[in-house]
Amino acid sequence: MPPRHPPVAPGTMKNTRSFCIIAHIDHGKSTLADRLIQSCGGVDERDFRDQILDSMDIERERGITIKSNSVTLNYTARDGETYRLNLIDTPGHVDFSHEVRRSLMSCEGALLLVDAAQGVEAQTVANMYLALEYDLEIVPVINKIDLPSADIERVKEEIEEDLGLEAEHAVLCSAKTGKGIVDVLEAIVTRLPPPAGDPEAPLQAMIFDAQYDPYRGAVLLCRVQQGRLRPGQSALLMHTGKRYDVEEVGLLQLKRVSVPELDAGSVGYVIAGIKSVSDIEVGDTITDARSPAAAPLPGYKEAKPVVFSSIYPMSTEEYPELVRALEKLKLNDAALIYEKDSSAALGFGFRCGFLGLLHLEVVQERLRREYDLSLILSAPSVRYRVTTTAGETVWVDNPSYYPNPGQIDHVEEPYIKASVMMPERYLGPVMELCRERRGEGTTFTYLAVGRVELTSEMPLAEVIFDFYDRLKSTTQGYGSFDYEMLDYRATDLVKVDILVNGEPVDALSQLVHRERARGRALHYCERLEETIPRQQFKIAIQGAIGGDIIARKTINAFRKDVTAKCYGGDITRKRKLLEKQKKGKKRMKMVGNVEIPQSAFIAVLKTDKD
Amino acid sequence: MTAAGLYLHVPFCTSVCPYCDFAVTIAGPQRRASYLDAFDLEIGRATARGLRFDTVYLGGGTPSSLGPGPLGRIVGRVRERLDVASGAVWHLEVNPEDVSPVAAESWRDLGFDFASLGVQSFDDAELAFLGRRHGADGARRAARTLLDAGFPTVSLDLIFGLPGQTRDRWRRQLETALELGAQHLSCYQLTVHDGTVFGRRHRRGELDELAEDEQAELYLLAHEILGAAGWESYEVSSFAAAPHHRSRHNQKYWDHTPYLGLGPSAHSFDGRTRWWNRRKLRLWAAALEAGESPVEGEERLDDEALFAEAVMLGLRTAAGIDLGRLRDRFGAAVAVVDEPAVDRLVAGGWLVRDGDRLRPTPPGMAVADAVVRAVLA
Repeated sequence: MPPRHPPVAPGTMKNTRSFCIIAHIDHGKSTLADRLIQSCGGVDERDFRDQILDSMDIERERGITIKSNSVTLNYTARDGETYRLNLIDTPGHVDFSHEVRRSLMSCEGALLLVDAAQGVEAQTVANMYLALEYDLEIVPVINKIDLPSADIERVKEEIEEDLGLEAEHAVLCSAKTGKGIVDVLEAIVTRLPPPAGDPEAPLQAMIFDAQYDPYRGAVLLCRVQQGRLRPGQSALLMHTGKRYDVEEVGLLQLKRVSVPELDAGSVGYVIAGIKSVSDIEVGDTITDARSPAAAPLPGYKEAKPVVFSSIYPMSTEEYPELVRALEKLKLNDAALIYEKDSSAALGFGFRCGFLGLLHLEVVQERLRREYDLSLILSAPSVRYRVTTTAGETVWVDNPSYYPNPGQIDHVEEPYIKASVMMPERYLGPVMELCRERRGEGTTFTYLAVGRVELTSEMPLAEVIFDFYDRLKSTTQGYGSFDYEMLDYRATDLVKVDILVNGEPVDALSQLVHRERARGRALHYCERLEETIPRQQFKIAIQGAIGGDIIARKTINAFRKDVTAKCYGGDITRKRKLLEKQKKGKKRMKMVGNVEIPQSAFIAVLKTDKD
Repeated sequence: MTAAGLYLHVPFCTSVCPYCDFAVTIAGPQRRASYLDAFDLEIGRATARGLRFDTVYLGGGTPSSLGPGPLGRIVGRVRERLDVASGAVWHLEVNPEDVSPVAAESWRDLGFDFASLGVQSFDDAELAFLGRRHGADGARRAARTLLDAGFPTVSLDLIFGLPGQTRDRWRRQLETALELGAQHLSCYQLTVHDGTVFGRRHRRGELDELAEDEQAELYLLAHEILGAAGWESYEVSSFAAAPHHRSRHNQKYWDHTPYLGLGPSAHSFDGRTRWWNRRKLRLWAAALEAGESPVEGEERLDDEALFAEAVMLGLRTAAGIDLGRLRDRFGAAVAVVDEPAVDRLVAGGWLVRDGDRLRPTPPGMAVADAVVRAVLA
């Protein structure tokens, strides 16, 4: 039975600690969070489930965190005092760095979790640098010390050498067995500083994420930096300029627990009659409209979609369901944007904007899983700036709207500053990878002995197509990757069309750098060759730029497709299979007279194999 | 009214072949005895159906492994209790290792006139790969013995499409079958089923299936060689030296004639409903011993399902389907085919249109499943 810790009276800032846990995937972040919550009596045993802070199925299954979450725990320390601990759970992926940064800004400290057997790994480093950027106090925690393969001394050395942190006082624990959990809690209390804001100053509260509640609308997760936030206030969101009446504030203790006010240093939620999550911007500052703060908190950046793709229902009958599903999803995912789109091959759909490829995948997965929709996605694209011969500027992220080459004066594409941190031994291959991806101005600096950071100015378009996977394999998982948007630069862009028996499949068209066109066209042709089943006639699959064929594959007509035996017992089975295939036939897309299965549209998006 | 077919399932094998997914079992004398008792009971239950049979088929498993005594007992019971027409064809599946002049004579004496011999191949290496207990010599000897015993039709089962099988190697099997004087051949493409030894090997990547184009070549080679010898291919896997050597029993499965199946896993059909017995020998026998029906499940086919089956089964046979007759039988609303697909199949040489009748060509038979999928709207 975990000890019951009495609640902390508000106004005791010196007894508040706000922290996050940063870790490489699989190093036990969620298990440690679970254990801290249990140790503080934050949850009844019967309500407990693993990965308790990850509420979406997709988060639990893939072991990733997509939405930030937080929990406020009460902990009575060895010094006899009771502390209020705010654990802020953050996403770990670069697509959601927006949320990560906002979450880090809401903490004073971070537990840097390292697996006792695996040691320091790529994401550990990337996340630590992020934490350092926000001036967080970092406590190294070595987890999984119960493993037979645990090598605590070696891991300590790595923490000192790779991370430059003092490892002598690293906390040792096993989140799985519960060993050392009290030491972790004590380190939080004794080694992390309390918040510093003035409760009497004008209100400034940072929104670090938002959840959607079907009855209450958007529930904002926020950290009060200074001042007080309470019901009845008129809240002004400083960047959007919108005002809302605060209805309820409270603490997140796995469920919402309303309190009279959130004062400086508090982490909690606000409900203010906001209809949906997309009405607000993560990173915005809440102030009191009657006595506003002079300026918003720093660090606000609009979350802009950078990857675009069209989504079509596999069967046109599912279009109305797709409309409803996107509307619902949008309520909880402010970063998702979409507008109507249509394709000659695939019918009505939506053009959607995403924060990155993982975000795209997550949306696709949620549509499939939560709304049981079978979808086709077009090749992801960045947004190009096209200047026409008439001198007009047109933004194009959809190949269907790419102007006729005769009308184009020049095209620019977005560049990013990519940074890759890795052990020195991978520098050569990673530089080669960047060069292959049209990286410019590639430089590197030594971080510590044996560890380098490489920066390169690269077209974003090169990154959205399997760069991350290639980097991971090139560095055997030790390379960490982050990027920021840089500027637009001139490019030599072409539109590659894919033709099946002479008919263009518009959903497979894509905008590509001229140097890449042939390779990409061939990749598409090969994947289609593998996934389109043989049919009654020969099928030509071609990649073309305008009238020029640049790649070609052929699928021969079927030649052998018959079950050898069909006697008494086989007949029912065979008819049932036929009925199933008939349903599958409805899910085929007809292009001209060629049946293309959904799997073909998915396969083309899969990354190149070397 | 057309007479029905009677199928008797003998689930016993002396060893289970690595590619086989039939309901078979290796059983000792006691289980064989209880099987025979249960069979008596099921035959007894079947009398109430009042069916008249003009084909009787003993399949398996390995009916020939039963030995003359038990086999005689089953045949005797069938003749005694069920209405079998005097001109009925009695069909027996035989394994080469069970064949001897004495055994062959006893089968003839019991009244069997169509013997299907599971030689699979006349090549020692292929037989070893297939896990068969007989060798090439045994296969030839068994075929000769059956022919010498005076069976009006001796059919040989051959398997083709083995990994690495060449045209020449397959040609030799077919030529051997012709030289021996067989009157019927069943040429089955090797199929890797889940839940068999081959299925597991395939999943582990230890067994490669022959590529589609090569399978097609071997299949069409059989049509070519047997066609040149004056044989007819009357169903995708069935070839006969002359029309009277066709399997009259199997034909019933393909044209929706009623049939009654007895024994574990056996399927029956009355023109509208299909039902099937428990697959496991023990459960099938236990039900009968308890005086209960051994039937495990049944399905009643609506017109849509019957039409789909008629197309599916008809397009596997050389006779094909008669769209006019199907429309008469099921109505124009149900008997619908994808006309543009049919036109494409005719233009591509997979189907021949002859008035209302659609017949598959040999290349069409090679892709009968795909043809059926395309034809059904």
